[in-house]
Amino acid sequence: MTNAAASDPEGSLWIAVKRRWRGWLRAIHRDLGYLAVGLTLIYALSGLAINHIADWDPNFVSYTRERTIAPIPAEVPDPDAIAQARAALQVGAPRSTYRAGDEIHLEYDDKKLVVYGDSGKVIEQGRESRFFLRVANWLHYNRGKKAWTYVADTYALLLLYLAVSGIFMIKGKKGLRWRGALLLSLGAGVPLGYVVWSGGPSAANRAAVERAQARPPPAPTPDP
Amino acid sequence: MRDPRSPDLERFPELHSRWDRRTFIKGAAAGTALVAFGGALYRLAGDDLTRAARAETRTDGRPRLPPGQRVIRALRNMGGDEGPGDVRSFRLRVHGAVKTPFELDYAALLKLPQTEQASDVHCVTGWSRLGAQFKGVQVALLAEKAGVKGDVRHVIFEAAHGYTTNVPFAEATAPNVLATYRMDGKPFAIENGAPVRALVPDLYFWKSAKWLTGVRFVVRDEPGYWEVRGYHNHASPWTEERYG
Repeated sequence: MTNAAASDPEGSLWIAVKRRWRGWLRAIHRDLGYLAVGLTLIYALSGLAINHIADWDPNFVSYTRERTIAPIPAEVPDPDAIAQARAALQVGAPRSTYRAGDEIHLEYDDKKLVVYGDSGKVIEQGRESRFFLRVANWLHYNRGKKAWTYVADTYALLLLYLAVSGIFMIKGKKGLRWRGALLLSLGAGVPLGYVVWSGGPSAANRAAVERAQARPPPAPTPDP
Repeated sequence: MRDPRSPDLERFPELHSRWDRRTFIKGAAAGTALVAFGGALYRLAGDDLTRAARAETRTDGRPRLPPGQRVIRALRNMGGDEGPGDVRSFRLRVHGAVKTPFELDYAALLKLPQTEQASDVHCVTGWSRLGAQFKGVQVALLAEKAGVKGDVRHVIFEAAHGYTTNVPFAEATAPNVLATYRMDGKPFAIENGAPVRALVPDLYFWKSAKWLTGVRFVVRDEPGYWEVRGYHNHASPWTEERYG
């Protein structure tokens, strides 16, 4: 320790900070990183699942089965019609039943059966939750609201710290002097490049208007 | 025998970690390329329906398949806060700027004059389901029964958990707009809006509110759930009114 630092406690603190800040940054980064693992898994896996919602159901595995039983005429009283349907389908007592028009509904906890009395056609619909993903998606969408909003906000702040501290964790050629700077620019360049390439948020509308203007107007429809 | 292109790791053990990383990166890159290629091939091979639909024209002169859409065989589950889904608790409120507001249960809905029609539906995410057979009650009939006042300009479809979506009155009362409960001879699955959903085939499908609970007639427009979240207020698929 220098004489100047010894006589100036603030100076010594500043020197200590200057010497050790990277170490603290790494230590905090490491500990917050551990804290973030659970939520990162939830948000990342659910993000992948939800991103492709147009291609699959990220929450449930659904099924529809069809079969036919003897028709149940409208004149058959409701209790008899329901008993007849249950006997033909060999199913247990439903949670609730309902009859309207030609439809007889048998509702169970995990499925529903709709019997079309006129034709005897039976549609069975049910579904099972996807293990983990349904809960993860529920959290990701913040459907529960309330306290989860604070958790999600805290996680976002935590991610910001991890991102920013990650930039300065290593010095030298593997840090911002070369490798780090290169990868940082590459990573930041991806969203920037995409916005430039795609034209940004208003481009889709502009292109659609241009396409619509380029098309010939539709043939006039006859008066009703 | 050692591959002559790989280093002698027994002699130079310090190369182990670098070589392992290189092998991993190569493997990951090859795997990603394979998955991307497979996905692209799957898309191209399965797109006969889209090509066929692109060649067709509707009776109103518009192409059958709006721009930017591809044809799929079954409705997709696009999420949303599901309603209870059962027929027993279903109620449909027809209200707003009307002379005689009323409420229907499921049985009462089925007792009204029914409409059966084949319709195409188009999701803003890019898929279209063509020629599905829908059964239900025309919204125009509900409007007539309620006695809509003369200054009504918009219809708000209300659904479970406060979801709403707005449609201009003239378009909401077109003959092909329904409160529908059956598609291709089957009830809707819960994820597709059971027991009753709106059907507005000539606008993007988010306007066809799932888990329908009400039809409200209003004088002033009220942009709904998606409309205030950046989606287009009108939503015509033919002019690609996707985002506002």
